[in-house]
Amino acid sequence: MNENSFMALIHNAIGIMTPFLLAATGGLFTELAGMLNIALEGLMLIGAFFSVVFAATTGSIFLGILLGVLAAVLVSLLFGSISLYLKADIFICGLATNLLASGLTMVLAFQLYGNKGVIRFDNIPALPVLNLPFIQDLPVLGALLSGHNIMVYISWLILIIAAVVIYHTPFGQRIRGTGLGSPTITALGLNPTGYQLKAILISGLTCGLAGAVLTLNLAAFVPNITAGRGWIALVVIYLGNKTPLGILAASFVFGLADSVANFAQGAINIPADFFLAFPYIITVLAMVGYSIWKTHRVKV
Amino acid sequence: MQPTADHKIGAVSRIKSLNLGLIRILKMERRGKLSNFLATTFGLAVTLGVAYLLAIILIFFLSKDPGRTIYYFFLGPFTNMYYFGNMLNASVPVALAGLGIIIAFKSSMFNLGGEGQIYSGALVVTAVCLALPGMNGYLGVFLGLAAGMAAGGILAGLSGFLKMKWGTNELISSFMISGAAVLIVNYFITGPMDDPINNLLATCRVGDQYCLMRIFRPSNLNIGAVLAILMTGLVYFLMYYTRWGYEIRMCGENREFARYGGINISVYMVLPMILSGALQGLAGGVVVLGTHHMVIKEFTIGIGWKGIAVALVARNQPLGAIPAAILFAYLDAGAKAAMIHSDVTYEISSIIQSIIFYLVTAQAIYSFVSRRRKEKDPA
Repeated sequence: MNENSFMALIHNAIGIMTPFLLAATGGLFTELAGMLNIALEGLMLIGAFFSVVFAATTGSIFLGILLGVLAAVLVSLLFGSISLYLKADIFICGLATNLLASGLTMVLAFQLYGNKGVIRFDNIPALPVLNLPFIQDLPVLGALLSGHNIMVYISWLILIIAAVVIYHTPFGQRIRGTGLGSPTITALGLNPTGYQLKAILISGLTCGLAGAVLTLNLAAFVPNITAGRGWIALVVIYLGNKTPLGILAASFVFGLADSVANFAQGAINIPADFFLAFPYIITVLAMVGYSIWKTHRVKV
Repeated sequence: MQPTADHKIGAVSRIKSLNLGLIRILKMERRGKLSNFLATTFGLAVTLGVAYLLAIILIFFLSKDPGRTIYYFFLGPFTNMYYFGNMLNASVPVALAGLGIIIAFKSSMFNLGGEGQIYSGALVVTAVCLALPGMNGYLGVFLGLAAGMAAGGILAGLSGFLKMKWGTNELISSFMISGAAVLIVNYFITGPMDDPINNLLATCRVGDQYCLMRIFRPSNLNIGAVLAILMTGLVYFLMYYTRWGYEIRMCGENREFARYGGINISVYMVLPMILSGALQGLAGGVVVLGTHHMVIKEFTIGIGWKGIAVALVARNQPLGAIPAAILFAYLDAGAKAAMIHSDVTYEISSIIQSIIFYLVTAQAIYSFVSRRRKEKDPA
């Protein structure tokens, strides 16, 4: 492997990590608010489907993303209301959301396009690629950090906003207080359920964006295109130790793993199914490694 | 309404309390048998009522001929013996998978890997039967199913082992392992074990002596159904009349308390998962030997999720698994009939199923009845 292909590997990894990073950023809010949000996968799928469909019907990428995110937020509202106000088990509601997403997208795909397979859209403009001023002129960093599509930069921006909100605003502290089960929240006369719902809506928003990245990059919808990415995002949150910087690093690791697998598939002949199974296996190994590290740390 | 336990869930023990919370919901906190029974019945009725109402609304939106679609959606499974028998047959693996999930839930372990365990079980059963083409039918079926159960048990047991050893969250690990298993089974079906003669993405057909006897022709219903009934009895006996079952339930109620009582709780993180996975593997094996006689690509997908739905609707009672499985098979069969005879696609059943998932644990619905009764009759 020469230097160029190594750079390309990292550059690809930064592109591939974007959906993980976006979904994990929203998932961080629900995690800090004390909820195990396994609906990330389904919310992402909703965002993926509706953003590409609306982008194709309106001819505008921006409107497509906006309406796709709106759809994901609406589904997260359904998910949040049922689990918080009807007091249903949040984990089972998460399963319900994932099932709803895969059923709804299939039914609508069949209804709108008469097709339950891959749906290609020809009239979708590509996501704009940005070259960062100043940074693009730097020797190594320029090649790595510049020249990505706009969603990559949006995901970084959202991560920064999330970090500020979580650590430096009353809202963020109340979310964390809710997750710690602190009685202070109720003692202050605040409503913890309201904060939990807001956290769920935030996860809907970022998962919607994460889904949009997947389909708008391809200009196509593939059934169950998320392929476990929502679950990986959940693992990313744990591996990142529930901090914004941590999830950035963990997303990059998964992005790099995917990028290496892509490269390996081109270079050596691996059956496609093994290649598809690779993210799942890596995720399990990463989780096991993390829990070993954690038990070890507790003992010391 | 006071802000109570709901908000006091600590971050550290969150997943544990989540599990315990679910178990509590499933047990409906015994308030008195009649009230409890009424609440459960009322809650399930509301859940199913809302789900089917939404189904009707959805069909009006989606179908050009809603009357015809609704007719087939609700009555399709009863229009002929073939559909009816196939509906019952479809409930067999779902009931077995549901029983497996019940064992895991009872010990407050989560097995989300049903899909992969069922699919792997199906593949292994087929592989064993294909490897022993000339064996006696009974022995071959026994060996095949045992191997399939072992495959499912190993996959699920691995998650239990990781949980016991290092506290790895079994919910995510079982799902991820299952996801990988599905893809690897796909590789075998389309690669080394593909039958080059048939045009399906499927393995070769197993020998005739291994095919389970059909008991309701012309439908596919076979003696696998008897196996599901036997297994229900066995799981019921295991859970309520044996030491294992007692200790599994103790661990499910309160793991710390069980440990204090001298129960080896490590064992009960792995054993229930193994039993759970074994029943998933059996479900896959029954689909192969009873219905298709080969593994077709992704033909068992969906059974695992239905198994979880069954455990929830059956309120974690083994005896409720078969009725709940028939309910979901009916939902599926109706959607299939509506697809064949009208213009909607089969996936509407996933949407209805998701509504049931959403509402089945909604405490607000269930406590409604008990609250009303308490107000009327303070004694």
